[in-house]
Amino acid sequence: MEILSSLALGFSVALQPLHLALLLFGCFAGTLIGAMPGLGPVNGVAILIPLTFAFGFDATASLILLSAVYFGCMYGGRISSILLNIPGDEPAVMTTLDGYPMAQQGQAANALAISGVASFVGATVAIVGLTLFAPLLARAAIYFGPADYFALYVMAFATIGGLAGVDPRKTLLSALIGLMIATIGLDPATGIPRYTGGSFNLYDGIDPIVALVGLFAISELMFLLERAIKDRDAAIRLTTWIPEAKVILGTAWATVRGAVVGFVAGVLPGAGASLGAVMSYSIEKQVSNKNNTFGKGDPRGVAAPEAGNNSASAGALIPMLSLGVPGSGTTAVMLAMLISLNVQPGPLLFERQPDLVWGLVASLYMANVMLLILNLPLIGLFTRLMAIPTWSLMPLVVAISFIGVYSISNSTFDLYVMIAFGVLGYVLRKLDITLVPLVLGLLLGADMENNLRRALSISGGDYGVLVASWISVALYLATAAFLALSIWLGLRDRKRAPAAE
Amino acid sequence: MSIRLAGAAIFLVAALYAWTAQDYTASFGDVLGPSVFPVMVGIPAMALALSLVVFPGGTVSWPSGDRLLRQAMALAALVVYALLLEGLGFPIATAALIAVVAIVLDGPPGKSLLIGVAGSLSLWVLFDQLLGLPIDFLGSFFTG
Repeated sequence: MEILSSLALGFSVALQPLHLALLLFGCFAGTLIGAMPGLGPVNGVAILIPLTFAFGFDATASLILLSAVYFGCMYGGRISSILLNIPGDEPAVMTTLDGYPMAQQGQAANALAISGVASFVGATVAIVGLTLFAPLLARAAIYFGPADYFALYVMAFATIGGLAGVDPRKTLLSALIGLMIATIGLDPATGIPRYTGGSFNLYDGIDPIVALVGLFAISELMFLLERAIKDRDAAIRLTTWIPEAKVILGTAWATVRGAVVGFVAGVLPGAGASLGAVMSYSIEKQVSNKNNTFGKGDPRGVAAPEAGNNSASAGALIPMLSLGVPGSGTTAVMLAMLISLNVQPGPLLFERQPDLVWGLVASLYMANVMLLILNLPLIGLFTRLMAIPTWSLMPLVVAISFIGVYSISNSTFDLYVMIAFGVLGYVLRKLDITLVPLVLGLLLGADMENNLRRALSISGGDYGVLVASWISVALYLATAAFLALSIWLGLRDRKRAPAAE
Repeated sequence: MSIRLAGAAIFLVAALYAWTAQDYTASFGDVLGPSVFPVMVGIPAMALALSLVVFPGGTVSWPSGDRLLRQAMALAALVVYALLLEGLGFPIATAALIAVVAIVLDGPPGKSLLIGVAGSLSLWVLFDQLLGLPIDFLGSFFTG
């Protein structure tokens, strides 16, 4: 019952005209950003943050806008996956495997409709999960002391890279680089300037928003310039917009399985939407690939990853809101915005600002319905907008990033910082060092140091306090187990690779 | 090789970082002090970077000459924009930025210029007129 009254409060917030307008705009813009190759949820959201500051929106309105964009991207990414064989954003990679073959076989309308419905079901499952579990997790997190938070942050850094594929050393190094950048500026406890090189511009530290726009938007421009843009296949033409209901119904179980797997992947720290899609697809393949139809245009191979990435992206909001530790790159960027607006996510957020939390949850329910409408009957509009060439779109995006960053403090110094971070982000991504842990380190560094300070001042300088509570011990054990598992998996893959050659 | 070099570079930065941290002392304040946390971060970073030098993982393929030149041109355009923004004023600087980036991205020059002018004017209307971004139409070069 408590949840119902909270939801009622949420809808009263979400139905305010400004919030409704932002929601609709966000859904539309998000689908478009997702559909455009080269622009994804992380850089889309990062670019919009300075603009929300410029418009003077409060935290609730900004969060509603960014979440709508985030959800919209998850819907939009599939459009170019299916029609162009180019994923519109990273989580939509798996959708190309069966989506593009379906489109080649003249089934584009079916593929778009299946993935639209699967996105809706996936997101709905995850939002219901968010409604039920986020308050529970927040209630449990009330018992966390400063030492436990320190342990939680250590765990978040160690696990954010996910399990498979990446070298765990690079992930950890990325987090440490982020923490190093976070200590630049005046030390909050003693007022001593650290790593400023005497520059007053750096006394306030590096603004995470400026760094983020550089890391994601500018480095993306560098990546775009690296590829030959001209030779892109023409989009597959659609003969009909009307999907067949029978084919959609045939994917019902694949959709449900994908949604549940994706949700679990989303809630785990650091996994995020991409891993949600990968896991949903591979599990569905194991369950359903009886006649070896996967990868050749099987509708279930479209439904599962789309349900998975949408559900994972909503699931990733749970640890961000209730613990203040984001579960994915985009939620990390959203956390940056909240911190900049002096809203500290975590257990107390649910008690102090229920209108923000529940307004967001209610908005997500509504965004999901709006997105289904935008993405089924109005899909033709987006496929036409997708034809806008990159050379005319990307420069505008760059210009908007510059205006947004400039408008934060009206100083060109921030523009240089942004460009520098763009180069740093490009080089790190080339070295296969993911940026998400770096962003997390940059965001949580100050808080991590503060919690360490608090813990030590309670104990009078005794470091034993760090492992004095069972919560922190459990978190350290979980971290160690996770690291051991990922190192073991990495070594196993390396042994396997030469054998396969 | 790139990974080894990057590892070495990160090692040096982390070492410098941890070394510098030792100088930060406060006679008052809290138990932890301003130098412990940076040292706690710097030392593992040094260890990890060193392990990348000794056991590099993965390979990196850098872009070829032509692409590298484009990237350098785009970066130069961004830096020049930051340098000249306040001097030229928003519309002129932004029009140039958009046009140059569009051309570097293989856009036809004529159309790129057109998009630059149209894009920058519409952004100026949006941000200056609707949002009140405090920047003049013409910069300090023109108004003295």
